[in-house]
Amino acid sequence: MLTKLYHSPVGKKVVTGITGIALTLFVLVHMTGNLAFFADETGEAYNRYSHFLTHQLGLLFYAIEIVLLLIFLLHLSIGVNIWLGKRRARPRPYDTYRTAGGPSRQTVSSRSMVLTGVIVLAFTVWHLVSFKYGTYYDSPPYDGVGVIRDIALLVRERFATPLYGIGYPAVMLLLAVHLRHGVWSAFQSLGAVRPAATPAVYGAGTLVGIAIGIGFLVLPLAIFFQFV
Amino acid sequence: MAHSMRINLKIWRQAGPDAPGRFETYAVEEANPHMSFLELLDVLNEQLIKEGKEPVEFDHDCREGICGSCGLVVNGVAHGPQKRTAVCQLHMRHYGDGDTIVVEPWRATAFPLIRDLVVDRSAFDRIMAAGGYVSVSTGNAPDANAVLISKVDAELAMDYASCIGCGASVAACPNASASLFTAAKVAQFAHLPQGHPERRRRVRSMVETMEAEGFGDCSNHAECEAVCPKGISISAIATMRREYMKAVLSGSD
Amino acid sequence: MAPVLDAKIPAGRLQDKWDNYKNSIKLVNPANKRKHTILVVGTGLAGGSAAATLAELGYNVKAFTILDSARRAHSIAAQGGINAAKNYPNDGDTIWRLFYDTIKGGDYRSREANVYRLAQVSNNIIDQCVAQGVPFAREYGGLLANRSFGGAQVERTFYARGQTGQQLLLGAYAAMSRQVAKGKIQMHTRSEMLDLVVIDGRARGIITRNLVTGEIERHLGDAVLLCTGGYGNVYYLSTNAKNCNVTAAWRAYRRGAYFGNPCFTQIHPTCIPVSGEYQSKLTLMSESLRNDGRVWVPKQPGDSRRPTEIPEEERDYFLERRYPSFGNLVPRDVASRNSKYVCDEGRGVGETQLAVYLDFADSIQRLGRNVIEERYGNLFEMYERITGENPYQVPMRIYPAVHYTMGGLWVDYELQSTIPGLFVLGEANFSDHGGNRLGASALMQGLADGYFVIPYSLGHYIAGSRIEAASTAHDAFEAAESEARGRIQKLLTIKGNRTVTEFHRDLGRIMWDNVGMSRTADGLRIAVDEIAALRDQFWQDVFVPGEPTTYNKNLEFAGRVADFLELGELMARDALIREESCGGHFREEFQSEDGEALRNDKDFTFVSAWQHNPDDIRKPTMHKEPLAFENVELTTRSYK
Repeated sequence: MLTKLYHSPVGKKVVTGITGIALTLFVLVHMTGNLAFFADETGEAYNRYSHFLTHQLGLLFYAIEIVLLLIFLLHLSIGVNIWLGKRRARPRPYDTYRTAGGPSRQTVSSRSMVLTGVIVLAFTVWHLVSFKYGTYYDSPPYDGVGVIRDIALLVRERFATPLYGIGYPAVMLLLAVHLRHGVWSAFQSLGAVRPAATPAVYGAGTLVGIAIGIGFLVLPLAIFFQFV
Repeated sequence: MAHSMRINLKIWRQAGPDAPGRFETYAVEEANPHMSFLELLDVLNEQLIKEGKEPVEFDHDCREGICGSCGLVVNGVAHGPQKRTAVCQLHMRHYGDGDTIVVEPWRATAFPLIRDLVVDRSAFDRIMAAGGYVSVSTGNAPDANAVLISKVDAELAMDYASCIGCGASVAACPNASASLFTAAKVAQFAHLPQGHPERRRRVRSMVETMEAEGFGDCSNHAECEAVCPKGISISAIATMRREYMKAVLSGSD
Repeated sequence: MAPVLDAKIPAGRLQDKWDNYKNSIKLVNPANKRKHTILVVGTGLAGGSAAATLAELGYNVKAFTILDSARRAHSIAAQGGINAAKNYPNDGDTIWRLFYDTIKGGDYRSREANVYRLAQVSNNIIDQCVAQGVPFAREYGGLLANRSFGGAQVERTFYARGQTGQQLLLGAYAAMSRQVAKGKIQMHTRSEMLDLVVIDGRARGIITRNLVTGEIERHLGDAVLLCTGGYGNVYYLSTNAKNCNVTAAWRAYRRGAYFGNPCFTQIHPTCIPVSGEYQSKLTLMSESLRNDGRVWVPKQPGDSRRPTEIPEEERDYFLERRYPSFGNLVPRDVASRNSKYVCDEGRGVGETQLAVYLDFADSIQRLGRNVIEERYGNLFEMYERITGENPYQVPMRIYPAVHYTMGGLWVDYELQSTIPGLFVLGEANFSDHGGNRLGASALMQGLADGYFVIPYSLGHYIAGSRIEAASTAHDAFEAAESEARGRIQKLLTIKGNRTVTEFHRDLGRIMWDNVGMSRTADGLRIAVDEIAALRDQFWQDVFVPGEPTTYNKNLEFAGRVADFLELGELMARDALIREESCGGHFREEFQSEDGEALRNDKDFTFVSAWQHNPDDIRKPTMHKEPLAFENVELTTRSYK
């Protein structure tokens, strides 16, 4: 049944929608976690949060990582599959093509889902390499947990470099572009949108996209411009 | 009389399914603003015949926006610029003297080209044969008022049932998906008690056929709704997805 | 020659005839039905419903349509609704009343027994369509809604917005699709019937052309059903779809089927007028518009002022003036004819001066724009889309247009033509509407014929006839195919100077001027000769571009126009012999002092059935089927 879902035109969208919503929730949590950076000037709260995730959740943390990886791969593979399918469904493009406007939701955002998605993916790998597997700094000893990883220091160090300082916000903008179509699309794919609610859901999706984009932008920009 | 105008046409010409295609450019010197777009093509064709050239083939029949025969991509938009209007009811007053208009056929693997602007849309008939009906043989019907249907449901069903099967949704979809066409029929029957006994089998079978015919997947661009001459809402697609999930998850027919 | 036209009307009281018929017919054993192949030409309401129903019964059906899908047949364009004697509104409707209204509306030129049966099965049609999932309009309580239509005194019309024909056709198409999936219907799309094959006096097959590849095909069957619609396009401009044609029926006529009442055509008063020479078709607007619109023209011929600048006292509300009691709601034929008269007087309006105003200003003032918008919003929108004018601000311009043809191949009570095994259903036959068709009854007839009549009468024919084994190699197939090929070849090799459309337009002009809303003996004689001359010219000077082996619209149209050029002459002849004014047929010589139609029941209460003369197409033989009225009294229509 699951393979049937994965291969059917409707199933593909449903799976994309569910995984998309899961990934959106993940980035929301991630973004909120990032904001812990602003809780104090030493980065203690941020380090404690990171420590909590990696050491205090135990096996659950690894389970979440594996599930996230699977969701990521599923979301990606279907996205690429749909993109390839569209080439097959119309090998010869129109000489002149434009959107009819009106109720159309066709935008730069909707047309570039695969592109923005793949860039965000590539970035995610780099991001993991930079941080999860990046330099291990020791923190000062904290009450209760002692010396833990000073991930805040690494963040500060990375975001101060132009490549990361500019690259990270740029990718986050692309993520916002992806989510602008993605959030609404996920609900439509799950059959959850009533006609009257379409503009509202679409608007909300756009807002969530922008909110996540801004939420992620605050930290690197603040560090790059040395506000914190 | 209304002033006449010169219209330049850049039209896709292709002698047959396997022949190479190309654009040809023509001019109609005496276009009238009251003409319909298809009448402009009629005038062009008369002109071409007089010049000893082959006329441009295009499908058309009722010319009042209901049979679904006509379908041209006009300057990049299926059925042209006027909302909720099939190209047969698009009139030349929307254009100005000296305008150049690009005319292309529906382009989709599932709609193989026959000649010039004529394509084969029989894939739609096969999707319908896969389940776009209620299995009631003639003579089996109970009294028409035996089953009550709320006005709201009847109106919604009618919204979806008004599909004319022109194929514009496929033509305009960046993925060449037939989701709106298929979903319109699924949604019509989902809103009517007559459609319920077969709803699971219907949606599975129609969706599978849609895929087998070589249409692309829906990416929720909603371009289909924007070009639909009947303005059918993509909520039909949302309904189809709900119906499909229920059908697949229940596992039974 | 008298017994040739046996209408085979069953014995008994009018109310019992259909039951008596059903009780007496022979039946085909269920296991034997699959041994019979039925060819159904045309997939509109009549053909679609017949094909589906016969396939459900077990017959093997081959269905043919010239369009790319069965769903596009022109039945789809019917707007208003479908009548049935359900009497859901409890306003006094009965089967008898529906029968009576239909036979009176047809100006007493149709058969009592046929029309009564139509009214009887009307209720089953609604049941069947609802069961198929046709989304008819409903009331808040969930029951079906009805409206009054075409001046009927009861609310018996069922409707699905302004798209009733579409929804009914899609119902029949769905039923067909189900049988296609089961393999019981073999669907041949883009396939045009070019000839009928008659073997041993029975219709046994057809010759078709594949409109994509140009291939000529032979199809053998045990019976042939023609469900190919009307021939309004003989006028070039009509509300019919561009592909509507008479070819299938005309080929059958040339093979021996009689043509009934060819001159009976319906001209609809509320169409959007012609805007220029390039005009390719006319668009109908629902006649419900006349409920609130007032029809007028300027009193002065040639008054070129804008309508809003013409003061009240310089306007002629000619329908209200001539018909004080019915006013703007006079029947279609009366309204159409009077519009023509005022235009003939030079008082027509618009660029072409072939239009009259339909003015909503008073209604908007009285009821408010909102009410008018609620009632006619869609129609106003369509009008503006086509004309570019806003009818809330300036009066609409309307003009009559050919809409429906009551005439068609002659059939008996069983819908069988004079060729055994050739059945004709829907608008293609002449049967149920007499001289004039009422609103919302075309859909009813098409579906009655296909769903509820033909399953019985065809079975009776199959069970009761010795249909010999035959093959497509038979000489008759050979001959018909070679004739069809010859015609195509001929059309392509003339290589003359004029296009098919030019000839068609010329024919239309002759027909409209002389065999249109108002006819005279002189005009009809002129038409007979002019059409014959035009036909000769066509076969010498037409230019058909392209190849026979590809999609070639001009070639398709050439063949159809060639047949229209023969039909047109027959229509004029029929109009000439019918020396009375009746229904849609108005002869100027036969009118009362105040200009109303004068029927001649004494001499013309008959169906004219024309037989082709193979030796001379210009000398067909006319047979009469006398019409007996045993149940209704013939009265005169008056709308003063």
